[in-house]
Amino acid sequence: MRRRSSLPVTFLVPTLAILLVLSMVPTLYAIVIALQNRELSTTGYSWVWFSNFADLFTDRRFLNAVWVSVKWEIVTVVATMVVAIGLGVLMFEAAGPRMRNFYCLLFIIPVLLPRVSAAFVWKFAYHPLYGIATYPYRLVTGGLIFDPLSKPATALFAVATVDVWQWGLFFAVIVLKLLETLPPQPIEAARLDHARRWQIHAYVTLPMLKAPLVSLMFVKMIESLRSFDLIYVMTRGGPGVATETLDMYAFSQGFIESGKVSYASAMAVLMMIATVITFTMLWKRVQA
Amino acid sequence: MKPYPIRLGRLIAKAVLALAGFLAVFPLVWTALNALKNNVDIITRVPKVIFTPTLANISYILGRDSVLTGLYNSVVACGSAVLIGIALGLPAAYAVARYPNRFAGDIQFFVLSLRFLPPVAVAIPLMVIWLQVGLYDTLPALIVTYSLLTISVIMWLAIPAFQGVPKEIEEAAFVDGYGAYSVFWRIALPVAARSLIGAIAFSFVLVWNEFLIALMLSSSNAKTLPIVASELSQQGMNVPWGILNASVVLLSLPPLLFLGVLSGFLNSVFRQKKN
Repeated sequence: MRRRSSLPVTFLVPTLAILLVLSMVPTLYAIVIALQNRELSTTGYSWVWFSNFADLFTDRRFLNAVWVSVKWEIVTVVATMVVAIGLGVLMFEAAGPRMRNFYCLLFIIPVLLPRVSAAFVWKFAYHPLYGIATYPYRLVTGGLIFDPLSKPATALFAVATVDVWQWGLFFAVIVLKLLETLPPQPIEAARLDHARRWQIHAYVTLPMLKAPLVSLMFVKMIESLRSFDLIYVMTRGGPGVATETLDMYAFSQGFIESGKVSYASAMAVLMMIATVITFTMLWKRVQA
Repeated sequence: MKPYPIRLGRLIAKAVLALAGFLAVFPLVWTALNALKNNVDIITRVPKVIFTPTLANISYILGRDSVLTGLYNSVVACGSAVLIGIALGLPAAYAVARYPNRFAGDIQFFVLSLRFLPPVAVAIPLMVIWLQVGLYDTLPALIVTYSLLTISVIMWLAIPAFQGVPKEIEEAAFVDGYGAYSVFWRIALPVAARSLIGAIAFSFVLVWNEFLIALMLSSSNAKTLPIVASELSQQGMNVPWGILNASVVLLSLPPLLFLGVLSGFLNSVFRQKKN
């Protein structure tokens, strides 16, 4: 009875058709635009084929943006996982059921905030004269000025802190929930063998959770690609180009500075190809 | 065996946790406090904890046309996109969950892969397309674009929710003479409702918080609240900080309203895993 129903067709086909149209049209059009020389200020255009891509590889600002993006990806993913596993294990070890629920609720709050809000909250906090985050430094040094967002050496890390504040705390909750799903027997066996607490986690529980932790890292890698809002509000890619990631550079080429839509689109297409290939490969490996 | 170091370790662990909990909420609490301060109480070298509260910032924010328009646009754009996501995403998820076919894996991968697409790569061509068809800077353009997000996210999260509905209940309904569609309406939807609400709330938070696409697809009429809030700060630090803080609070409230729903959703996902 179930097999012969028309339900799968009527339920699936319209949705998939719409998803296909909504995703393929912009994707293909992005490639078309990248092969032209459109600008926002003029309506005419011609086909320039691959010259936008050729230009990109000699554009030092583009190469800098690639490097900043890679740095951003590594710093935020590693820091998020370290914070998540650290706090997750601490909650598992040192908090009772009630406190666990309480911390879980607190740790979910930052990730729910719009990134624009999170960026503002911390931009105020980082203010060298009146910020709450720089206050301890002023207090200790007797009023010296420390402006983390305007120094090339610290700006990326200052923004990354906000990202980890949002995602690291959230993932700590997930790590705790994962630890809670483990059967208690292996942990007790290790305890009977006089394993220390950290040894139990390093050699028993975390290896048992390897697959979900890798998936979690995968999610964070995708999420880290969406850094635009944080950087746009906090530094606009500055100081100089110290925090200019690929999407920030594409945006400023396409909209702020020159309106070179085609050039920006070429960048976006490269990003798309790189991420689709990387994540398809990673996903197949995670699934396997 | 060694009670002392273990007890000390526990104490340190508790202290670290308490500090993390404090850091999780304090920046936000501080922002909310600043929203209630006069400018002189914000621009102080030593942070002021005790001050005379004022509602001036909040009433200023709520009285500005740009903020109200942004709020309206956000509510309409996100609300419509979520409704479309529900109407198209839930049935499709049910079909994948309950009528397995050889494409099920590919469909799931396709839906997930939509999350890989860099937002810039979607936003630039869409901007050109909407300009050409004359819909640039309108809410319909934003709603259609956001629907791609909401449909795929709701579908992705609803598949496991429908799989969690005990098959026996559905089989029993078939035996009682229900058709495939009424099993979906009368059995699967109500039984899975709790998880489905979590998935829907998540998709709402996602589009409410969205920034890059809204920034590229609007110039004046269709600006959403995040864009309006970010523009307030573009006027430099001349804008009184209290007003900016108040706008941050306004922008953050709707997602926080879903805190309970979403943490319940998280719990139910992991309870399912355990069983």
